[in-house]
Amino acid sequence: MKASLIKTAWLLLAFILVTPTVMQAQKAPTSKYKCMIQMTNYLGEGAYIVISLINPKGAYEKTLYVLGPDKEWYNSLKEWHKFQAKKPTNISAITGASVTGGDRAVNVLEIESSKINSGYSLRFESAVEDKKYHMKDLEVPLTTEGLAAKSEGAGYIRYVRFSPN
Amino acid sequence: MTISIWRYSHLALAVSSFILLTLASVTGVILAFKPIQEKINPYRSDQFEALYLSDVIPQLRSQYPGITKLSIDANQFVQMKGTDQEGENMLVFVDPKTGNLLGKPEAPSEFFEWVTALHRSLFLHETGRFFIGLTSFLLLLITISGTVLIIQRQRGVRRFLTRIVRENFAQYYHVVLGRLSLIPIFLLALTGTYLSLARFELIDTAYILPDVDYDAIQDGPPRDATSFDIFKNTPLSEIQSVDFPFSEDVEDYYTLQLKDRALHVNQVTGEILSEVKYPVSVVLTEWSVDLHTGRTNAFWAILLALASGNILFFIYSGFAITLKRRSGRIKNNFTAEESNFIILTGSENGSTFRFAQEIYKQLLQQGKKVYACELNDFQEFPKATHIIVMTATYGLGNPPTNAAQFAIKLAARPQVRQIHYSVVGFGSHAYPDFCKFAFEVDNLLSRQDWATPLVEIHTINDKSPQEFGQWASVWAQHAGVTLDLSTDLGQDQHTCPHNFTVTEKTVLTVPLDAFRLRLRPEGPYSYASGDLLAIYPGNDHRERLYSIGKVAGEIQLSIKLHPGGLGSEYLYGLQVGDRIHGRIDANPHFHFPEKARQVVMVSNGTGIAPFLGMIDEEAGDRERYLYCGFRDQASFSLYESSIREHLNTGNLASFRLARSREGSRQYVKDLLAQDQELIVEVLKNNGVIMLCGSLAMQQDVVELLDGLCTTILGKTVSYYQSHGQILMDCY
Repeated sequence: MKASLIKTAWLLLAFILVTPTVMQAQKAPTSKYKCMIQMTNYLGEGAYIVISLINPKGAYEKTLYVLGPDKEWYNSLKEWHKFQAKKPTNISAITGASVTGGDRAVNVLEIESSKINSGYSLRFESAVEDKKYHMKDLEVPLTTEGLAAKSEGAGYIRYVRFSPN
Repeated sequence: MTISIWRYSHLALAVSSFILLTLASVTGVILAFKPIQEKINPYRSDQFEALYLSDVIPQLRSQYPGITKLSIDANQFVQMKGTDQEGENMLVFVDPKTGNLLGKPEAPSEFFEWVTALHRSLFLHETGRFFIGLTSFLLLLITISGTVLIIQRQRGVRRFLTRIVRENFAQYYHVVLGRLSLIPIFLLALTGTYLSLARFELIDTAYILPDVDYDAIQDGPPRDATSFDIFKNTPLSEIQSVDFPFSEDVEDYYTLQLKDRALHVNQVTGEILSEVKYPVSVVLTEWSVDLHTGRTNAFWAILLALASGNILFFIYSGFAITLKRRSGRIKNNFTAEESNFIILTGSENGSTFRFAQEIYKQLLQQGKKVYACELNDFQEFPKATHIIVMTATYGLGNPPTNAAQFAIKLAARPQVRQIHYSVVGFGSHAYPDFCKFAFEVDNLLSRQDWATPLVEIHTINDKSPQEFGQWASVWAQHAGVTLDLSTDLGQDQHTCPHNFTVTEKTVLTVPLDAFRLRLRPEGPYSYASGDLLAIYPGNDHRERLYSIGKVAGEIQLSIKLHPGGLGSEYLYGLQVGDRIHGRIDANPHFHFPEKARQVVMVSNGTGIAPFLGMIDEEAGDRERYLYCGFRDQASFSLYESSIREHLNTGNLASFRLARSREGSRQYVKDLLAQDQELIVEVLKNNGVIMLCGSLAMQQDVVELLDGLCTTILGKTVSYYQSHGQILMDCY
């Protein structure tokens, strides 16, 4: 009886001690960056752009932001759509409007601080209805320098700039 | 059936687009509720119209340092994008005056997104957009052809908004609603087409806001944003969006999207760094979206919903009209070469075909060889004995499209044998040119050597079954066939509801001349001179009609005694005091005109009967002239005393007698030719000429009048016939 009581106390103590560390592990420290996408003066519908975190092996790791609200068109962002179909995550909190030619969009990206300067990069993938799809419109190395520079895009994106939030 | 190019296009366009049009209309009605639903939200500032950028931008930027973009939607809701104090993305509606947060924009309704995609592209992306664009263009053409059809129907652009004659439910409301929703539907189609063209880049909507020359950017003198000229002079209502500078750096600037231009503004000095005015095509695109969706105005959105709903009704009623029109088509069992009875039809909207079809069926059932075709298909009919022309009149007294060639064909194809003809005109007294084309056809036929009128022209007002029945019964009597018209064409039954007592009968002085008979009605029957008395002397279907003159409150008839004549021998056999049964048929088209100041009455033989009744009434301030033709003085003597009396009292302004077998052997038309100045004056002053007597006399007089009318008055005789200035009752 006494032994079981002690056991329970130990267990409780263990819980009390362990739980915060578990919670901390879940919420790794993050950095927030304002990211501005300036579009070229292309003609056509609003572009759908997805910003993804790419691991050092070049594979998708996480979706950071989706510019374009209508699921109907997500399949036009082919590579990302495969990743999203394989590992569906809820992106409703990180979804915004699409951007048209000549416009710009400013959004906040939340990136795990540990990923910075560790071989990761940010991929900007873009598609416009009935126009060309750019798997790598732009890929910015996730380094201090990369986040400070103005990076030129190859497709519908003219350039991207970041600023720490 | 030949139909006009406009009607044909209208139908062909409708047929080729109705499926997609139905879809676009249904979705269109639903989508009209999107702006209405949005506008219910309380996100619009009362101050909106009064605010300038200088009141809004600096204040919001200091209140919300994370602001990156301000945009104003069609509802004039101001939406702010940026980051909040926690650095999280923020998208909210803000009061531009106070900076208070009003609420978060809802995620776009999946339902409306779905309907929008269907409306725009049928879920087929580019292909679907193409078909919807095409449908929109077809709708534009349908609207245009429909407008032309309304103008034709109403006889002129200026009469576009006048009353529409009601034929049936589908037709009436197709036209009435077409006229009402013309403008919104036209705008829907036009803007839809425009947006499709812009979407497919067939209209160039590209413009480029020039890049900022970074070397030339000035970082001083710094000014407060509230005092920037461009901010002070730009009302908030002119703004589509404002991009805030990405950082405090002078190389980052404001970008303003106005309604008519875009510009970059230095955030330190307020200087305009670069500017572009939108091409007209961009402004037109914005207007098109506004007009097409109703996003800026809830009332317009409701109107668009109604107009879209109307399109659905047009599709229904349009097809109903077409089906009805087609049902009137006749498939001939006999050829034109072998047929004895020819029915020629002129109809614009097909309703006259149904009457023609009824007669066609009846004759066919009786084993007659009948052939029916359009007036335009007039050809040689080598075995024809009877021609029936049934025709409407279109527009301003014009022939219907399928009768427009008739005059030329008639002149080019003289018939080889004598043919009896009868013309039935269909029209409505709601139009001034009542049955004008029918009169023209009648006059044309009367000039052909091979054509003999069987009965005089009959006009049918507003498809009256009674009037049609009257014609059918008279025609059948003369043509020696029996027509048993179904009840929906409503032929009068052979009843004798009225009783009369013979009060006077004259005795023939010359054999086989005319006699006069007076009948006292045995009840308070209502009738007037010009009405007809129908009797059935053989107690069978054989009907005899006599023109009534109302003299001294009694019915006076003039009858020529024919040897073996069913009616005339029966009536001549009556004695004073005898009772007879018959029926008074109203014949309002030959009543004495109430409004005319001058009336010329022309008769030959017993055709004088109704006129004797008319001059028995007080003349008042009217001038009445009587021209009568008789064989000789002896035939006239029956009426001489009463005419002298009316001349003496001044009831009759003048009287002239033509004797065809005596003296100078004149016909009544010769007298009219001598008095042509009077005739022309009467017609010019809206007077009326009335003809009663034989068809031969009518033919002669109408020909004479046609000459006078065309040479002196510059109008055809059919104009006066259709305007009720030449009234005829001949047999």
